[in-house]
Amino acid sequence: TLNTDYPWILNHDHSKQREIADWLTLEIKDFVAYISPSQEEITVRNATIGKIRRAVKELWPDADLHVFGSFATDLYLPGSDIDCVVNSSAGDKENRNCLYSLASFLKRRKLATQVEVIAKARVPIIKFVEPESQIHIDVSFERTNGVEAAKIIRGWLTQTPGLRELVLIVKQFLSARRLNNVHTGGLGGFSVICLVYAFLELHPRTLSADISTTENLGILLMDLFELYGKNFGYDHVAIAVQSDGASYLPKQKNSNLQNPRTSFSLAIQDPGDANNNISRGSFNIRDIKKAFAGAFDLLTNRCFELDAATFKDRVGKSILGNVIKYRGKER
Amino acid sequence: QCPHKWRRIFCTLCNSKRHSRDRCPSIWRSYYLLQGNRRRALAIHKIYCYNCGEKGHFGDDCYHDRSSRVPNEDGSAFSGENLPKQVK
Repeated sequence: TLNTDYPWILNHDHSKQREIADWLTLEIKDFVAYISPSQEEITVRNATIGKIRRAVKELWPDADLHVFGSFATDLYLPGSDIDCVVNSSAGDKENRNCLYSLASFLKRRKLATQVEVIAKARVPIIKFVEPESQIHIDVSFERTNGVEAAKIIRGWLTQTPGLRELVLIVKQFLSARRLNNVHTGGLGGFSVICLVYAFLELHPRTLSADISTTENLGILLMDLFELYGKNFGYDHVAIAVQSDGASYLPKQKNSNLQNPRTSFSLAIQDPGDANNNISRGSFNIRDIKKAFAGAFDLLTNRCFELDAATFKDRVGKSILGNVIKYRGKER
Repeated sequence: QCPHKWRRIFCTLCNSKRHSRDRCPSIWRSYYLLQGNRRRALAIHKIYCYNCGEKGHFGDDCYHDRSSRVPNEDGSAFSGENLPKQVK
């Protein structure tokens, strides 16, 4: 049967699994494999960045271009944009003239179309589309924290099996509900990674080391939605992440992490600055919590339904389908 | 006044009176365990509470008032009950 809503289940039927949690684990792995970039896509992205980088160096011999964000950590969804930063030894490239001269230089070289210069923002950026690959690129200037964060995340990814898979599922889930944009109060990519990392680090079964996380992705995904959708004490608890671990701390012990307007807010302590809350922009945490709770209810109901169904009725079914709602191009 | 007949809810899988058998969390809450009898050490110093943020207990076992307004009737993964028998 052709199923365009859940393309990752084609030729990957797990309906005969005895444990429903194992079925979900296998489906998560199929989805992650399905949305992961192909070798061809990786080559195109690298070549595109190479061209931009050479142009930046040609315009400013003392400058260099670095990628950060999801591109640098390999946690991007299909069609997501590439974040880069221009850093120079003079450190003077963030002024308005430099933004405009890079923008017009890239335009002249036919490396950029649909160029937007956002000079007045807290973080001034240039946004454009590279015409050959049609990739959207954001360039910011003279900052190192994004590059530092990418380094920490790459460390977590190598030490924490299952982190990559769960982050990609949660990102896809939030993006399908438009809850992934910090400008509208949603959860940014770094906050999602911190939530999943703290969850995996503090889970009882991780602490007792009696499971392999990659063989238990299904139940862990449900535990994750249950924790952040139903149980987590957003009013009272802040999450602290370090390069080598995660912990909770009572908000009352660190009032800098508290949102001055409401106690109901997500607080993630910046590993580089104990008084900074990484997720202070995510003001729509109420809807985010509700969405997580809804995902938990959808998944548990689906498990009950499929557990009671006959094997014949289970063939070709998806557990994740309604939760992650993949609406992208067929891959 | 209530038009529905009083019905006893009872789960034959786990003896709970809070849900029926076809909605028992044990249907999906199952972990695929590592093989072997190697004695596993528990990282006690990393037990934190999702409810109050303090160290030393899990959120389900917290003695403070519940912070979240969503009920947690059947218990979650973050409970002392969710530790293997050898380390409880």
